[in-house]
Amino acid sequence: MIRTFQRELKLIFSDIAIVLTIFGGVVLYSFLYPQPYAKESVSALAVSVVDLDRSEFSRDIIYKLNATPQVDVIRHDMSAKDAKEALTCGLIKAIVVIPAHLQRDLALHISPTIAIGADSSYFLIYGAVLEGAMKSVLTASAKLKVANLLKSGVPIAGAKLEYTPFSLNTINLFNANNSYTQYVVPAVFVLILQQTLLIGLGILGGGDNERRKKGLYTKEEQRDTWKIFLARFFIFGVIFFVHLLFYFGFSYEMFGITHLAEVEDLLFLGLVFLLAVIALGLLFGALLKGREIATPIILFSSLPLVFSVGFVWPLEAMPSFIHTLALFIPSTPAIEAFLKLNQMGASLESVMESVKILLIQAFVYTSLAYYVHKRVYKPRS
Amino acid sequence: MFKALQFAFNTELLEIKASLYKLLLVTLLPLGSFALLIVIFSKGVATDLPIVVVDHDKSKLSKRVLFNLDATSTLKIKYRVESTQEAIKLIKATKAYALVEVPSHFSRDIYLHKQPKVTAFLNTQYILIGKIITASLVESIATSAGEVAFVKNLASAQNTQKSKEMITPIALQITPFFNTYKNYFLFLVSALLPAVWQIFIVVATIVSFGTLFKEKKEQEFFAGGYMKTKIIGKLLPYTFAYMLLGIGFLMYIYGTRGWVFQGSFALMLFAMFLTVVAYQVVALLFFVTGFDYARSLSLGAVYTAPAFAFLGVTFPTSSMNSFALFWRDLLPIAHYMEIQISQANYGADVFLESERLWYIFAFSFLIIPVFMRFKKRLEQ
Repeated sequence: MIRTFQRELKLIFSDIAIVLTIFGGVVLYSFLYPQPYAKESVSALAVSVVDLDRSEFSRDIIYKLNATPQVDVIRHDMSAKDAKEALTCGLIKAIVVIPAHLQRDLALHISPTIAIGADSSYFLIYGAVLEGAMKSVLTASAKLKVANLLKSGVPIAGAKLEYTPFSLNTINLFNANNSYTQYVVPAVFVLILQQTLLIGLGILGGGDNERRKKGLYTKEEQRDTWKIFLARFFIFGVIFFVHLLFYFGFSYEMFGITHLAEVEDLLFLGLVFLLAVIALGLLFGALLKGREIATPIILFSSLPLVFSVGFVWPLEAMPSFIHTLALFIPSTPAIEAFLKLNQMGASLESVMESVKILLIQAFVYTSLAYYVHKRVYKPRS
Repeated sequence: MFKALQFAFNTELLEIKASLYKLLLVTLLPLGSFALLIVIFSKGVATDLPIVVVDHDKSKLSKRVLFNLDATSTLKIKYRVESTQEAIKLIKATKAYALVEVPSHFSRDIYLHKQPKVTAFLNTQYILIGKIITASLVESIATSAGEVAFVKNLASAQNTQKSKEMITPIALQITPFFNTYKNYFLFLVSALLPAVWQIFIVVATIVSFGTLFKEKKEQEFFAGGYMKTKIIGKLLPYTFAYMLLGIGFLMYIYGTRGWVFQGSFALMLFAMFLTVVAYQVVALLFFVTGFDYARSLSLGAVYTAPAFAFLGVTFPTSSMNSFALFWRDLLPIAHYMEIQISQANYGADVFLESERLWYIFAFSFLIIPVFMRFKKRLEQ
């Protein structure tokens, strides 16, 4: 057993591609992936206003618009055409057009229309400008409603309440600040751990098969399948357990990510997750003909895997077979479970279904890997 | 020289024909990845997102408000429970994305002018889903409030027209410029496909040169001089293949789904060509660091895998920190994506795009160190 261990350690640590991935890659990715969102919150976006009314009321709207945190009025254009040109050049991201005779129309009880146009190619930008513009116009018009009601004889206290009989109060549960880091990083980190582990075991297994083809795979190695599996479970388990601690401890702290789970619950889920991934990695490696096929396959699978979990695009809006297929890969139940446990503060019992799926995966993939090792590659006598 | 180019080109074509893996890399693998992402987002809009409601009032009015919520295309009341605690549990289990709670004495308070509040608890861990839900909640509640206000004002105002004016003095017309479809398919898929595409270009380039060196055929291949020409000839079949795939996804997104492409298609093709070449050269640069097949793939992975997040499509560049912007500048696909968006949406003129085109083109100059390394290696 000790000899198997030593041989495996040597195989792993003498392979620069494996070392680069399971150490260099893991550390580098943990730094690189959160970078786009590191500054947090969407800053003010440049907007142009086309004020065709030039009344006291229109100036009030512009003033309120500029005061909203999402919007920064940087231009005043004479016509919508000029403003649109500025938009095409990328100088501004949205346009607000206040129609002529706004104040007069209001006095005459004709409902005027304020046009808001935003570059919707970038959906966060679109949402932010819309929110800012809507708010300012709505407050301005609310003021008017109250004034209208006052005119029709409703006392001020009543008028204030009357313009909307009841209202909506929204409370953000979890990730209350709508932080993108909190949104993306906890899920992507789980995927990175899985993908780097799979690449490592894939290169290792592909290497075994290359040696088999060349006749360099020893009889001893062929015989000791269980010992090799055990050694790989242990070595990769220990290395990635440390990575797990690094990600969920150090990195979370560094990027200020919420951690609501009890440490022992988190570690339990982490261990089950690693078991399933290592099992899949053993099977994955056993199926690969060469060392170099692992990295590309894992790379290609990453984006579809992220999006089939359902934390970005709702499961209700995608064909159900996608998610069912994705459940065969450990990252899918694991991301669901980690998000519930650590970001939403759910109890360990409520993620037991995911834990079960992971345990089944660990068992099935290990058995399949064993079968491939023993049956498909029969020892030459 | 032309013969050397032809030789390298034909040799590579034969290689692709002979190796299933290489053939898959330029055909089924990228097409399959594209298809998978397209299928995930094919619906484009989210409908019937499950929510849970707690109705403490159980009056005609509260039922009306909840009925209006259920009537929206986006929301679906999947659970009705008695306590907030129970509802929060459903949210934590992600069985529902939001909880809408109508307070007790809701309808009494409305008639007493107490302006009661309908409270919505949102699962904002899922930002995009949260935004979609908030938008339709706000809209639906405003409609319900409008209905109630209208009826109440009718009682005091003399006619319906006046009652209407009192409720909505200003109408808002919202025009999403460009992507006028308000469809997430265009937002995400038009950026995801190029992000996957660049991964394939880098991988295929490394595979092509990696196998040559791994099988120790490089001396034979480069025998007889014309090293630079042969390198280019070996790259060319992939340049064509990925150009075709690129044209394929553009045609799919802007041709078959009915989105209008505003700009110049010729310009897009040129930008695409520069991008393919840029990635091929960068991939070779990774390869010549040690002429090690597996190791250069690891480098390619670090370079291409996180690219999607840096494109600025899901998260605006104006909110990125300086390191993220710096890293973004090192990715040809980020510049390509800006051209694709501006061409597709507003058909910006060529002059405006020239700076971005130069940026992508600049990566091709890295071929100089690549040639130098190859020369040194072959002389050994």
